[in-house]
Amino acid sequence: MKELINIIADPIFSFPIVTTLFVLMMKYYRIVGTKKFGLGALLTAIPVATWLCLDPNFRKIILWPDNIPINIIIILIAWLTWYSLYRAALNDNRLDEGLGPWEGLPENREKVWVWPNLVYTELMCIIGCTVFLVVWAIIFKAPLEEPANPTWAPNPAKAPWYFLGLQEMLVYFDPWMAGVVLPGIIVVGLIAIPYIDTNPKGNGYYTIAERPLAMWGFLFGWFVLWQYLIIVGTFLRGPNWTYYGPFEYWDFHKVVAEYNVNLSEFFWIKWLNRPMPANMFVREFFGIIITVGYLFILPPAIARMKWGKKIIANVGQIRYYITIFLIIGMASLPIKMVLRWLFSLKYIIALPELELNL
Amino acid sequence: MSKKHEPGMAYEMKKLHKYFAAFSLVLLFSVIWVFLDDYIRPWKAYQIEAMKIEKKKIAKQIEEAEKEINNEKLKELDAQLVEGEKVVEANSKAIKELEAKLNILKRDLKDETIINGTLNSKVSALTFDWGVAESHGAKYAPKLKAKLDKNKALFAASKDRMKGLQAQEKKINKEIGKLQAAVTEVEKEKASILMKKKLLGIALEKKKVDPIFAIRNAPFVDFLDPTIKIQQVVLENITDDRYFQHVPKVDRCMTCHTFIDKPGYEDQPQPHTTHPNLDLMVGAKGIHPMKQFGCTSCHGGEGHRVTDFNAPAHIPSSEEQKQEWIEKYNWHEPHKVPKMIYKNGMAEAGCVKCHSGVQYIPQATVLNEGRRNIEKFGCYGCHKIEGWEHKRKPGPSLERLAAKLDKEFFKNWVWDPKSFNKHARMPSFFSQTNNSEPEFMAKNIAEVNAMAEFIYEQSSPYRPFARYKGGDVENGKKLVRSLGCMACHGVDDYPLENKMVDPHKGPFLQGLGSKIKSADWLVSWLKKPNHYSPNTIMPSFRLSDKEANDLTAYFLSKKNKSFEKLKFAPLDKNLRDEILVTYFSAFDTVEVAKKKLSAMSDHERTMELGRRSVGKYGCYSCHEIKGFDGRAPIGPELTKIGSKPLTQFGFGHEYDVEHSRDGWIKAHLLDPRRWDRGSGKPFKDLTRMPNFYMSEEEAHTITVALIGQVDEKIPEKGVKQFDSNEAKVAEGMKVAITHNCIGCHQIDGEYGRLLKVYEEEDINAGPPRLNGQGHRMQGDWFHYFLGNVYPIRPWLEVRMPSFNLTNEEKNKLVAMFQAKADEGHFEEEVHEKVVWEPGERQAAVKLFNSLECVSCHAEGYTSDEPVAPNLKYAKRRLRASWIEKWLAGPETILPGTSMPNFWPDGEPADEDILGGDAKKQIKALTKYLLEEGHNFYSPIHKAKMKGKR
Repeated sequence: MKELINIIADPIFSFPIVTTLFVLMMKYYRIVGTKKFGLGALLTAIPVATWLCLDPNFRKIILWPDNIPINIIIILIAWLTWYSLYRAALNDNRLDEGLGPWEGLPENREKVWVWPNLVYTELMCIIGCTVFLVVWAIIFKAPLEEPANPTWAPNPAKAPWYFLGLQEMLVYFDPWMAGVVLPGIIVVGLIAIPYIDTNPKGNGYYTIAERPLAMWGFLFGWFVLWQYLIIVGTFLRGPNWTYYGPFEYWDFHKVVAEYNVNLSEFFWIKWLNRPMPANMFVREFFGIIITVGYLFILPPAIARMKWGKKIIANVGQIRYYITIFLIIGMASLPIKMVLRWLFSLKYIIALPELELNL
Repeated sequence: MSKKHEPGMAYEMKKLHKYFAAFSLVLLFSVIWVFLDDYIRPWKAYQIEAMKIEKKKIAKQIEEAEKEINNEKLKELDAQLVEGEKVVEANSKAIKELEAKLNILKRDLKDETIINGTLNSKVSALTFDWGVAESHGAKYAPKLKAKLDKNKALFAASKDRMKGLQAQEKKINKEIGKLQAAVTEVEKEKASILMKKKLLGIALEKKKVDPIFAIRNAPFVDFLDPTIKIQQVVLENITDDRYFQHVPKVDRCMTCHTFIDKPGYEDQPQPHTTHPNLDLMVGAKGIHPMKQFGCTSCHGGEGHRVTDFNAPAHIPSSEEQKQEWIEKYNWHEPHKVPKMIYKNGMAEAGCVKCHSGVQYIPQATVLNEGRRNIEKFGCYGCHKIEGWEHKRKPGPSLERLAAKLDKEFFKNWVWDPKSFNKHARMPSFFSQTNNSEPEFMAKNIAEVNAMAEFIYEQSSPYRPFARYKGGDVENGKKLVRSLGCMACHGVDDYPLENKMVDPHKGPFLQGLGSKIKSADWLVSWLKKPNHYSPNTIMPSFRLSDKEANDLTAYFLSKKNKSFEKLKFAPLDKNLRDEILVTYFSAFDTVEVAKKKLSAMSDHERTMELGRRSVGKYGCYSCHEIKGFDGRAPIGPELTKIGSKPLTQFGFGHEYDVEHSRDGWIKAHLLDPRRWDRGSGKPFKDLTRMPNFYMSEEEAHTITVALIGQVDEKIPEKGVKQFDSNEAKVAEGMKVAITHNCIGCHQIDGEYGRLLKVYEEEDINAGPPRLNGQGHRMQGDWFHYFLGNVYPIRPWLEVRMPSFNLTNEEKNKLVAMFQAKADEGHFEEEVHEKVVWEPGERQAAVKLFNSLECVSCHAEGYTSDEPVAPNLKYAKRRLRASWIEKWLAGPETILPGTSMPNFWPDGEPADEDILGGDAKKQIKALTKYLLEEGHNFYSPIHKAKMKGKR
């Protein structure tokens, strides 16, 4: 069993599994979002977690002081996700029956004073958080590491936990892409959401049925492309950024087979059986065409489709193109990951001469 | 929210207040927790424990001091005091009068001091003003001068008055003292008796736990002046490498190891124990005081960390200790510490980084043993270690091997040296855990065959110069022991001696009858080793023909029958070709490789494989083999292995080996091939480090020596620097170690393992101890002697051989002994003519006769059998000042010598000679010896020079 888990926790398998689970969860959120399901999940999780913790290697990695926040995140996210699904399911069922959202009931619309209802409770929360941080700091001392040595980097060299998702992206993309372009798009995209999402539904109440694109799109990015990658980066990446299963000992000398091939090499050598052209743009033209097509032909093509037309009708041309561009950007990560796993694809466009690889 | 509250309110106010109070209380408690967590430190408990220990100790000392006090004397003094007080009482009126006088005097003196001070400052200021005015030609200069002169006069007068007053004060004080003497004297005496107890009492008082102690160490205020505090030393000369910067080392170990530098706490449990060797380490008067060298400079670890037991990276030395620590201190493996504390028993590794340039460091017993083992096993042959480059190759030269060994013997020997000689130093390459599969064995056999062909082909012809005529085995056996062969060679028939000496310079002599090809070769070798091998360190013992033949007879009588029966499998040509193809195809295709092979003749192929195999197994690293000059040794460099990151050590699939540097090295030494287990390596990539079959102890000591090889930059001031004498000693020692002088000779009390054989019977029968040798010998004689050895002590059976020393080596040896004795190169007066005081010569002759020197030192005087060195050659051999020292006390130079002391404790040898002055007598006798002496280094020198004339 442990061996099996070690194998399927590898992103090659766990990414599709997590994606499938995500799809199932979103699709059957009305079942997931019931108290029965929540209680059942909790009752299953406790013995499973206990069993996991019996393994010394597993315990070692989750109790690493640096990793405590990730454990807290997992628990918090599980709870908050279920709670929002529960509320959304509640509302969506009411909406189906023609009733308004639960938050819209007269007793829930009543207004209260800011003082003391908000300010006082916020103060208590502040105190509570302070106590929590203080106690945490006492119990889990900040780990003191060796003096920084410019000639000897620690291995694995890990970013702070909240950046581990980005670091995981570095496995699949060139640094300028994973470190600059994609994070840039994420930040810009998050800022842009209020301006491109003009759907008034869901304001002030939980719902999934009334705004499927927003919920599916955002939650996919949030769960699968961000949280999941952080968890992988934290728990499953050991020395040399090699994959280690949750029950695996971090043997420094573990070797994995990885040999990656560029798209241009596939194209010229494998498919056409010809030497690589000397001119780099000719060499890479196939990848360039695909990329250009992906970025500039795909959006207008979708705009002609029923789905695209519907969005344009709802929000207009400009908002449509911004949205679709963000979605395409987000989708590039899973696409590249899958290509890497299936075909050992290194770069779609490989222009090391210009330090431009994609 | 579904519950109804007051309008505008989501919660009930009272409830909110209660929650708020609860939150606030929790915050308060957590803040208190923060302070307590910060305040309660493990090291404080140790310091309080130390206080208790110290108090107990002081209390005990007070008890002892009390016992020392003479109570009767004290009573007597008390009685005297009563008497004295009465006397003083009687004088009280006079004393009071004097005290009144003194008071007035003191007033006057103070007044005068003020006047004097004012005038003094005025004079200084005026002197400056006048000087300026005068040099600028100011008109008012004369006026200033007048003022200055006036003040000077006043100042002088005041000074004079003051002296008068001071004299009066002194006088009155004295008078008062006299009147009170009866009391003060007694009190003084009493105090001196009680002083020790009183001081101890004060010390005890200081350790008391009283309110002041509590306040000084209370939380919040303990930053002011606590008594319980972190102790530390800051070492400017030794730094910690923080990569971007070297910072002075800070050691705080003594915060918990409270009495580490104080004698008297040896019996206390850790961490309060005294350091086991205060004279060498830590002790304020030792060679390495704590204030200057700290703790972690030698022990390693993070000395500035005192957070808890784990912080400085303590490492348990055994599994039991580990369990104990886990239980007691919650011990865990140090997390991200670059340098851990050396385990108990391995601390001597810390010597290496500062003490470079010498093989043996005084008092570092484990380390020295480790380095001796490195030399013994010849690790430096294959692995470069800085500071070992001057060493000769550990194995014998193979350049003329064909004359010495039979080819069949050679192959069987290479295959498994231990099967011939279990003491063989040649390690085993074959039949090891990683190459004993049939396929590998077959290939190895092909390689050994090819190597044998290759080695024999490169071997030059040699013809022994002597013939074996048969000899006396029994006598040969005796000679092996008596000549001193066992300083370098182990011999099977003398197990006790082997154990005592543990010789390692030469091979263990066993089964030579099955090994040596020709008896003539052995006779020639014994008589003149460098005839066969010009670079050998085996010296010539100037053996007579009979001696050489007897020894040969003895050695050849020793046979290893089972080894003789071994037949080595013949060369499998197919396998040979297969191996060659793998070599050739390293950078070529198999087809090209095969073509290349087919172009070679059968002989060429064998030679090619032989040459490549010699290179592959690194035979040339230890043996001189033609065609391999200048090739780098085969193993990785070990100079900095003690700093090699642990992650770079390949532990393979050996999960039982402790995950530490020393764990790896020791495991590697015990079984170098273990790392191949489960790796499925192909034949050409198998680990080649051979198996030395060393003992745990040997592996341990070598490990200590190796983990000391660290890559740490120590500031020059912190490193041991040689002065000119020490540098000469270091250089000379290299020669003395190479030629194993130290195998026979004890030098100033160190080395000389062969002497152990003689210690029980008669130490004088062993090789001479060289104590203060540089003072004893004249430099030019010593240099001559090293090149022209002749017997000096007629009673010795053990023989000083004639070494094959270069002039440079001889000079280094002479310089070393002179530097050790702190002597110059020459003693000038030796060459001067002896000048006699009146009557001195007669006295000397008389002494010479009455002491019967010639009864032992017979040679040159009588025809008796001499039992002491020839005095005629003392003139050029010994320094006059040494002869005097020797005569005055032979025992002090050579304990146990048979030379009697005629002047014990400086008493004269004869009351009537030279007025019974021992020093004069010794001087006269010395002069006589110099006058009597020949002006030649040795009898050989004499004969040679006479012949020339």
